[in-house]
Amino acid sequence: MAQTLRRRKKSSRTYKWLPFWLIAPTIVVLLIVQVYPALYTVWLSAHEREPQGWVAVGFDNFRRIFGTSLFRESVGHTVVFLIGYVVITLILGYVVAQILSRKLLLSGFYLTLLFIPWILADILAGIVFRLLVIPDYGVLSGILGDPNLFPPRGLSILTASRPSPWIGEFPFPPSPAMIYLILAAAWRGLPFITLLLLAALQTIPSEVTESARIDGADGWKITRHITVPLILPTMVVALFSLMLGGMNGVGMVFSLTGGGPGTTTHVLSYHLYTLGWTRLRFGQAAALALMIAVVNWLLIAGTMRLTRVDERTA
Amino acid sequence: MARLRSPSRKTWSSLLFNGIMILILLVAMAPIALTVVISFKDQQDTIRKPPVLFPCDTATDPFDWGACRWAVEGYERVLAPEPSDSLLGFRLAGKMFRIYIPNTLLYASVTAVGVTILAGMSGFAFSRYRFRGRGLLMAAILAITGVPLLTNILALYQMGVILRKSPFPFNDRVFLIVVYLGFFLPLSVWIAKGFFDTIPRDLEEAALIDGASPIGALRHVTMPAALPGLTAIFLLTFVNVWNEFLAGYLLVSRNELKPVMFGLYDFLGANIINLQVIAAACILLALPMVVIFLFARRAFFMAMVEGAVKG
Repeated sequence: MAQTLRRRKKSSRTYKWLPFWLIAPTIVVLLIVQVYPALYTVWLSAHEREPQGWVAVGFDNFRRIFGTSLFRESVGHTVVFLIGYVVITLILGYVVAQILSRKLLLSGFYLTLLFIPWILADILAGIVFRLLVIPDYGVLSGILGDPNLFPPRGLSILTASRPSPWIGEFPFPPSPAMIYLILAAAWRGLPFITLLLLAALQTIPSEVTESARIDGADGWKITRHITVPLILPTMVVALFSLMLGGMNGVGMVFSLTGGGPGTTTHVLSYHLYTLGWTRLRFGQAAALALMIAVVNWLLIAGTMRLTRVDERTA
Repeated sequence: MARLRSPSRKTWSSLLFNGIMILILLVAMAPIALTVVISFKDQQDTIRKPPVLFPCDTATDPFDWGACRWAVEGYERVLAPEPSDSLLGFRLAGKMFRIYIPNTLLYASVTAVGVTILAGMSGFAFSRYRFRGRGLLMAAILAITGVPLLTNILALYQMGVILRKSPFPFNDRVFLIVVYLGFFLPLSVWIAKGFFDTIPRDLEEAALIDGASPIGALRHVTMPAALPGLTAIFLLTFVNVWNEFLAGYLLVSRNELKPVMFGLYDFLGANIINLQVIAAACILLALPMVVIFLFARRAFFMAMVEGAVKG
């Protein structure tokens, strides 16, 4: 009797700690791979590697980064890229989601096909797009190189130089390579945004739009006053996720343009790579990583507010 | 009158929307279709000026199906089959198949198994138990889900440099797998929690009343019900690791230990003028993932909506 009681006591103690033991491995892995490196980046950003070892430099790394014109240019390129990428992907994603939400006979088939670009690696997608416009031999190079279409000498996307900027040094209008990069990135980002918006559209009860239609609202009014306001939180989540991915995704820049021609697609994420691995200024790269991380954290915090984490954790 | 008109209007709008959708899909599929076409050209047709879309032109006819010069040279040069005394009678001597794909298969499967187990454990705990700090922990994991690899890669690289010099037995493969584990785990924890939430607790409670231990109930009742969800996590992680480039490129010191996307990037540099070879490599590396996706698309959509959208 006493023995069973003791055993039961022991087992209840084990099970009291069970959730802890189930979660502990996850926490350990995340501390090693996510939390510690984040803190280490802060330390690195205040140091620089010199021949004699790591030297504390305070805020010098930030000062040096801000001092280079390439950094200011990369910020401009990143802004141009993000605006183009976000606007194109969101609008197209909304249109496709609207069409698919009409429950066409083949909606499932369409969605599956549409998703194939998403399943491709960013670096592979970049290579696919690069193949099409390789100077002289790419399949699209023939069409784009036609002097009648693009006077005076035709367009070669990967080598065309930058148009002269409209506003001071700000890299606008974007170079042909930047436009092509934006289109390629939108091509890959579209499926996920479509799925996100489609899921949101399907939560709108059909009675709402139906009764508005009976009250005499036309399609545009329904979109403007009912559909868009109802899915606005999801739209903003999509926007944040696009910005997060667009700012930190470097694979496509790597394989499609390599930051070029010249520096016309040299975005911040690529700048981080070149600072760290081609110029070996690790401290400066860490300082840049820290700045990007701050923007990331703001976007993440915004997303978490919008998705009402407190309800989801229930 | 109105009743007569409405069905025809419906048909028209359905036609219109199907038409728009097909147009969008044609544009979306074009880059992939063109890559497939390029991969089946032979060397002479890839370096023509001006470039031709299909290698099917003759001296007299710009397009003649009978005259198409399709070739598998690109695939041959990626695979580089060599006669050998193995079971199949040949072996694939191309670097991609000798080095990079086996590396990635190892990284992707070990990471996917690890993520599935760890996410299954913690997802179950978050779904079934109420303990102090639970909400905070889950919010923290959700926040980490959004953190991209880019901002941590410098510190991880530096950690690798220091560990390599230390007496600590350091292994590039293990290091890379641990990094992948840490990056693909947070989302999977949330996906797993979502799946466990949909399994009614009554099932477990019934098993407990019948005398099963909590672990037994977990093994024989909850896990089988959660299997589709865990499969989704496994496949999603596998595809994610297969497609990952940056960490595999920067965190591994020796080329022969690097994963397949580095192999592809390396290949691009070595074959920049042989478009058919690059195209063939892209197709060969994308095809397995597309096939996995097509067979398990329901699981993928479910996992994505579960992990990212549920507001």
